[in-house]
Formats: sequence, structure tokens, C-alpha cells
Amino acid sequence: MKLFKKIFQRPAMKREIDEELRFHMEQRASENIAAGMTKGDAEREARKRFGNVQNVREDCWEKRGISFGEDTLRDFRFAMRQLLKNPGFTTVAVLTLALGIGASSTVFSLIQGVLLIPPPYPHPERVVLVTQTRTDGQHNNEQLWPSGQWQEWQKEAKSFEAIAGYGWTFSFLVLPDGSESMEGMEVTSDYFKVVGLQPILGRAFADSDAASGPQKLIILGNSLWKRRFGANPAIIGQPVRISGFPVPLTVVGVMPPDVRFLPAPDVAAEPNYNVNAKVDYWLPAWSDPKQLKSRDWYVVGRLASGATVCEAGSELAVLTAREIQNEPDFAGVNAYVQPLEKQLNKEGRRLLIPVAGAAALVFLIACGNAAGLLLARGLQRQHEYAVRSALGAQTLQMCRMVLTESLLLASLGALIGAALAVVGVDGVKHFAGAAIPRLDAVRPGWAILGFSLSAAIVAGLFAGILPAWRSLRLDPGDALKAGGRTASLGRPERRLLLGVAAVQIALTLALLVGAGLLVQTSISLARVRPGFDTQNILTMSVTEVGTNWLDFHTRAIERVTALPGVKAAAFGWGVPLTGNKWVMSVGTDGLTDESARKNGISVPTRSVTPDYFSALGLAFVEGRAFRPSDKGGAPRVAIINQAMADLFFPGQSIVGRKIWFQRNRTNQIEVVGVLANTRTESLAEPAEPELYLPLWQAGAFSKHLVVRTMGDPRSIAMSVQRELRVVDPTVAVENVKTLEEIREDSVAPRTFAMNLLIAFAMVACLLATVGIYGVLSLTVGSLQNEIAIRLALGAQRRDVLRLILGHGFRLAGVGVGLGLIIALALATGLKTYLFGVVPTDPFILIGMMVLVFAITLITCWIPAWRAAGVDPVTALKTV
Amino acid sequence: MPSNKAELLQGTLDLLILKTLSAGPMHGFSIVQRIQQRSEEVLVVEEGSLYPCLYRMEEKGWIKAQWGKSENNRRAKFYELTRSGRKQLVEETAIWERVHRAITLVLMAV
Repeated sequence: MKLFKKIFQRPAMKREIDEELRFHMEQRASENIAAGMTKGDAEREARKRFGNVQNVREDCWEKRGISFGEDTLRDFRFAMRQLLKNPGFTTVAVLTLALGIGASSTVFSLIQGVLLIPPPYPHPERVVLVTQTRTDGQHNNEQLWPSGQWQEWQKEAKSFEAIAGYGWTFSFLVLPDGSESMEGMEVTSDYFKVVGLQPILGRAFADSDAASGPQKLIILGNSLWKRRFGANPAIIGQPVRISGFPVPLTVVGVMPPDVRFLPAPDVAAEPNYNVNAKVDYWLPAWSDPKQLKSRDWYVVGRLASGATVCEAGSELAVLTAREIQNEPDFAGVNAYVQPLEKQLNKEGRRLLIPVAGAAALVFLIACGNAAGLLLARGLQRQHEYAVRSALGAQTLQMCRMVLTESLLLASLGALIGAALAVVGVDGVKHFAGAAIPRLDAVRPGWAILGFSLSAAIVAGLFAGILPAWRSLRLDPGDALKAGGRTASLGRPERRLLLGVAAVQIALTLALLVGAGLLVQTSISLARVRPGFDTQNILTMSVTEVGTNWLDFHTRAIERVTALPGVKAAAFGWGVPLTGNKWVMSVGTDGLTDESARKNGISVPTRSVTPDYFSALGLAFVEGRAFRPSDKGGAPRVAIINQAMADLFFPGQSIVGRKIWFQRNRTNQIEVVGVLANTRTESLAEPAEPELYLPLWQAGAFSKHLVVRTMGDPRSIAMSVQRELRVVDPTVAVENVKTLEEIREDSVAPRTFAMNLLIAFAMVACLLATVGIYGVLSLTVGSLQNEIAIRLALGAQRRDVLRLILGHGFRLAGVGVGLGLIIALALATGLKTYLFGVVPTDPFILIGMMVLVFAITLITCWIPAWRAAGVDPVTALKTV
Repeated sequence: MPSNKAELLQGTLDLLILKTLSAGPMHGFSIVQRIQQRSEEVLVVEEGSLYPCLYRMEEKGWIKAQWGKSENNRRAKFYELTRSGRKQLVEETAIWERVHRAITLVLMAV
């Protein structure tokens, strides 16, 4: 309270002080006049006797405790003058800090935007997913619940405020000039209560909106409403035509912007599934009372206020156990409650945490540099400090002065660093769109500036503490005795500085090793022979939304194949590296494993038209490709890959064997061909079993058109789309990409991590070089006397060189040794990103160690050479 | 340069101010004058250090200040002792007497 009073009454208190002092002087003057002086003399004498009024005023403010503003301002002005006096030093120090702060702020804004900003729901920490764990311990891909179970939780679970079921769906907004795909959610009415969404127009769903029979109602997502309906508020009550629904749906509401999906893992392989996208529409989900046991639902809940995730988990465990007792069909899975945020951040965390570690290393290196620079300058100003101290400056004041200077440097660095970070974030958004989920939500803003300034305070304190500590324990007598000559470092200080430099070397080595490993990964990935061609292949997702399915696809292939420049064209559900597939349980005769015989073996399945294999350049080991005659009504056929053949028919002839899907043994499928293994799922993973079905027999709604071209595939993209529109003007054509682009997207997180680490490692090298150079120059400076004496006593130039290089050598040795440990830690953190290289790869480790050694020694060479070139006579004179 | 004006011993200014004020409220200027007169013109308070000293003592709560009218009818700030100021005066006087006695003993010992 007292402090506040002082802050607000400062001007008044200052006026009072001035009045009192004036009174005193006037009083003195009138005494003087009374003693016979003239008015002018009297006033002059009064002033003289009083002393320096400004000093007295400041002294009074200080005693009153209202001087903080002035002191800080004075320190600030002084620091500013000092910095301007040494533009070279200032530039290097500010740029050093700017790089460190820029790097860490960039990464921080990514982390903040992707990981820290919670989903835009009220009390997002209370929104939880009810997922499943299988009692047999196996991985559970689907996580779907029967309504019979969660509807009971709705009634009985006390730790939940609300529970809702939901599902993912997609469809097409039918437009006469090319339809547009939309992603949506099917939700029970409680969904809106659970996530806390209020429509900005119209209403949310009510319980009565869900009913059997065709859907009638729809709620629009904000971006779809703006994009396609011109943000028209009169949309409520209007019909919209959506593929898959015979009757147009009536719009009942529009939701606020930026609402994203809740995860639906079983459809993760759908071409159109993107959990990080914004929801385009919501449909009311109807729970059929006759289907209480069917596993159809994802479950999301909002915790009651005060309830914890743990309590909710144990309550559901109890309820689930009871349900299983009453209904054996529910057995096999237990409920597992986890916060929504945690689930959404899984991918981002995996990438951003190691990257944040790398940024922290750059930041530390920059701080170390700034500390070294400030200390070096502190040494040059030792004499000045000594004089100040001898004149009565308190140690605390000196300390404050030094810290103000380092904080000022850091703040300037922060401003430039923030600008760098804004550019950096834009760059990342531009180049790493496919690598980081929800990157579109990252906006450079106040967060960057805030973080930069906090980083600046940390950096300023970090960099300023060493010099300040030095100024504290300075003996003014000694320093004064040294006169104006270059002061030298004491032994402990030299050690400390060398220690800082060694840590910088260590951190640089770690970053170099990390970058090296990722570069090697990228080289290995580029060398991988995936087993399919990526050159000259154009892909696009194509969906017909209202005509005859078979007719459309047959004619589309005919027309596209007839285009000049096209070698082959095919439709395929499950193009390589897109993650698209559906997993089926496949059985056959003669499986040895007990459980496989009973349940079949899960195999990723794809469905394609006959020319798909030749379009992608897939090689056959045995048998044949599909024929146009393999269509509906004809005997069912399949093609498998080598990995599946090895698993199902080890050492046997394969073509002609029969397989079937689970629980459908009577509907047998004949294997007609075996493909060589390919890296369809991921370039970094060895081939897994694969099964291909003819599209004409298996069907598929949304799928890719794959076109193999003679020349640049991009050049015919327009004419391909034109041909498709000729067949059906309403066809939806989206995601036009070359297979090469899909390949790049599939390794995007690795590429992003690699580029970032290369950039960080380069910055680190640069900074460490500056740092090492500075420290060694200082060391040489303080060894000057010793060197001079040695030279005078007959030492050779190369002896001196050896002395200094010896220092550099030891420095590099310690740095590299320490760096090896940090490098191994960082490499382990990057492990999931490595391919074709182990974290302890000896070539990279040794190579980078040699590189760092070389950098250190080369940097040493300059001060060493200079020291050795000193004329002993001149040097001795300064001793 | 020999001078008939003695430097004030560090710390004694507080004591002198306290003692002077024990006679009753007065403003800064008359404190200086009073000390000078009482010490037969030997102790001259450096005017620049008087006011910071007064503020410090006020912050410590030994004295309190009030605006009033001076002898020649001008607005002036008057200081007076507080209860804790009186206690401080007793303590500091006791310390001073001890030191004074000790120094005298040393000086007479030869």
C-alpha cells in the first residue's frame, strides 16, 4: 500500500521537497541581507552554502523512497550511451541474442499455436474422450462403443456433466460445376452440451431431431457457410443438396468458426478424413433402440465440475464391468478416459518437443556468447569500475549498472529476434504445412513478442550475471594500480569463460549430430526403392455424386486414357503413401496359428482397376493383373503381395489359392497374382501384407484417379479434369497432386525437422565461432605478459603458437567430450524420425567431432598467430 | 588547513537533530541555526545533508512533519519528535556518553 501511495503521490512529494529546500535558501538569503549583504550576494552565498541543489534533491528522493524511476532511467541512459559508443560490440552482441531469441521464439509460437492453445471449447480441460483398451492387451484400432453401454453411462455416471455419441462422415455438396467434398460429424444432441458449442444462428439439435428414416436437418460449419453460402443469415430454414441424401436437408443452425473434429480412428485411412480440419457440417445421429449392441459410436464426455479424469475412469470401469456381467456381448473392452487435448496433441508433441530442445540449445549458445562478450568488455572497463568504486559507488549500484546494460542488449536482441520469429513462423507455415497438424491456427502475434521479451530477460540476466558478479568482487585498489592498461583475467575467471565456451562447443556438436542424422535419414529415404514409380504420375481424388457409378468410372478411364500424353489411367482406393486402406480379417485354409485360423489375419486391403499396376509400375512375381472381365457377377479374384504370400502360404504355390473375409467362408476369392513387395504404407517401413481387389467387384466411393504420363504430369492436370467433367459435370475432383508430391508430404515431418536442425546447427556454428574467438582472444590478452617474458627469454614463435593452440585444443577436447553426451541424448529424442541410420552412427559422430575440433582450432589460430607475432620489447613495456 | 569548524562525526547528526527538536517543533533552517549557536559556532551542519537526513528520520518514524507558518509568516515545514524519536534520543545519548567517556579515558591514560 505504502509503495502504491508513493508511486501515485510522487509528483506531490517532489513538489513538497522543492518547496522546503527553497524556503531554506530564501531564509538563508534573508539572514544574509540582514547581515548587510546586497540581495544578489546574499542569494549567491545561500546557494553556494547549500551545495548542488540537484544532488540534494535526488538524495532526498532516495531517502523518501521515491527515486526508483530516476535511478533506472539514469542507468538506462548510461547503458544506452555505452552501447552507442561501441557500435561493433553492440551489433555483435545484439545480433547474437537476436538469433538465439528468434530461434526459440519461432519454435515457441509453433508450440503455443499447436500444443498450448486448447480447443476453442469452454473449459476444454473437462472435455474427455472415452476410448477403449482391449482386455486381451492387443492394440485396439476402432474404439467404437455400442449405444447400449454409453446410454447407461449417460444415466448413471456421476462424474460426467454430459456424455454424447458421435461419428465421422463425409459427403459432397452437389454443385452443377463440380461438387465439393465436405467433412462432417454425426452427433447426438448432447454433443453440443459436451463441447459447449452455441450456434451463432438458428439452433442446435434437440433430442427430437434424431429419428429413424432419412436425415432431414443439418447444421453448417462457419467456414462452409461463408465459403459457399456467402455468410447469408437467411440460410436458416433453407434446403441444401448433399450427395447421399435423396431429400435436400434443411439448415437449422450455423456454428461459430474454427470448430475442429473429434478423433475417429477407425476412419483414419479414409481419403477424406482429416481430424485437424474444421467441421463443415453436423447431422443429428439417431440411436436405434433395436441396435443397442452394435459397436457404432465414439464417445465424448464433459466432466462434472470438480471431477477428475481419474475418478471418471474408475466410475466408468465399474459401470462397464456391470454391463459386461449383464450382457456378454459387451465383453472384451474396458473404458479408458483421456483428456481430448492430450489425444489431439499426440502428433504435434512428437515433432515439436525435440525441436524445442534444439531451439533451447541455440538459445543457450547465444546467451553464452553474450555473457562472454559482456565480460570481455567488462574487463576493458575494469579501470572505470575501479574509479567509480573508489569514488564511492556502491557495489549494488555497479551491479545494477552492469545488469541494466545486459538487459538493454537483450531487449534490443528481443525486438530483432521477434521480427526474425515472425518471419520464421511464416516460413514454417509455408514450408511445413504437411508436417505439423493445425499449423493454420498458428499466428505470429503478441505471444511471440511476449516470449521474446521473457527470453530477453532470461538472456540478459544469464549473460549479465557473470560480469556483474565480477564487478562485485572487484578490488578497486588492484584495478587502479593496473592503471589504464588492459586488465587481465584471473585464473578462476579464465576457467569459467573457457567452461562457457566448452559448453557452447558441446551444444553445437549436439546440434550438428542431430542435423547430420536427419540429413542421413533424408538421403536414406531418397535412396529407398519403394517398388512403385513416383515420377510422371498424377493423382487426384475423384467422386461421382449423382450418376451411374459403373458407367461413370468406365467412361472416365476411357476418355482420360485417350488423352495425348497419357500412358495409362486407373482408379484406385489406396494410393501409396496416403495411408488409405481398409483393414479386413482374411482367412484361408492351412493357417497354422490357432487364433489366425479362428479369426483370420488383419490385412490392409485396397481396390483398383486393371491398369493400376502398370500405371504405378508395380511388378508381378507370379500370375496376372486384373482384367476388365473381373467385374461384378464374374468369379471373385484378388491379388496379394509377396509379404502376404509369405505369411499365408509359406513355401507353397500361390496362384489359384482361395481366401475369404472373416465369417464369409462361403464367398471365396481366388488369388490370381502375386506382386513384389512395395513400401505402400510408408517409405520408412518394410512392406506389410497387402491385398488388392478389383474395383469393379469391391466398389469404393471416394478414390484416386492415377494417371501415368509421358512428360510433366502437372501439364495435363487441366485436360484430365476437363474430360472428367464431360462425363459428369457435377463430379467432385480434389487434391490434385503428383505422386512425387504425395511422397514428399509423407516424409514432411522428417524434412521439417531436418531443415530446422540444419538451420539451428548453422546458427550454432556461427555463434560458437564468435564465442570461441572471443574467449581465446581474452585468454591470449591475459597471457600477454607471460608470452612477452617467454619471447624475451628466447622462446620461438612456434612455442607461443603451441601454448595458445594448446589452450584451444583442451577447450575443444572438453567441449567435444561433453557434446558427445548431449548429442546422444538429442539423437535418442529424434529416434522416431531416423531411418537408415542409428542414433550412434559412428561416421556422423566422428565426422561432426572432427568438424567441431577443426572449427575450434581454426578459430584459435587467429589470436594465437597475433600473440606470437608480438614484438617482445613492446609487450614487455606494457608489463 | 586548520579550521575552527569541526567536521561532524558520522552518525552524530541524527543525535543533534533529535536533541534540538526535543525543545519543540521547528523547521530545517532553524535546526541548522540552533545547532550552530548552541555549539558556539563550531558545528556547522552541511545544509545539503540535513534534508536527506530529516527524510530518512521521518521514514523511520522518529520525527513527523507538518506545514505551518514561520516567524516571518511564510509557509514552512515543521518537524517534531515522535514517541519513538524520544526513545531514540535517549538511546543515542547513552551511546554518545559511553563513547565520549571511553575516548576521554584513552586520552587521559598517558
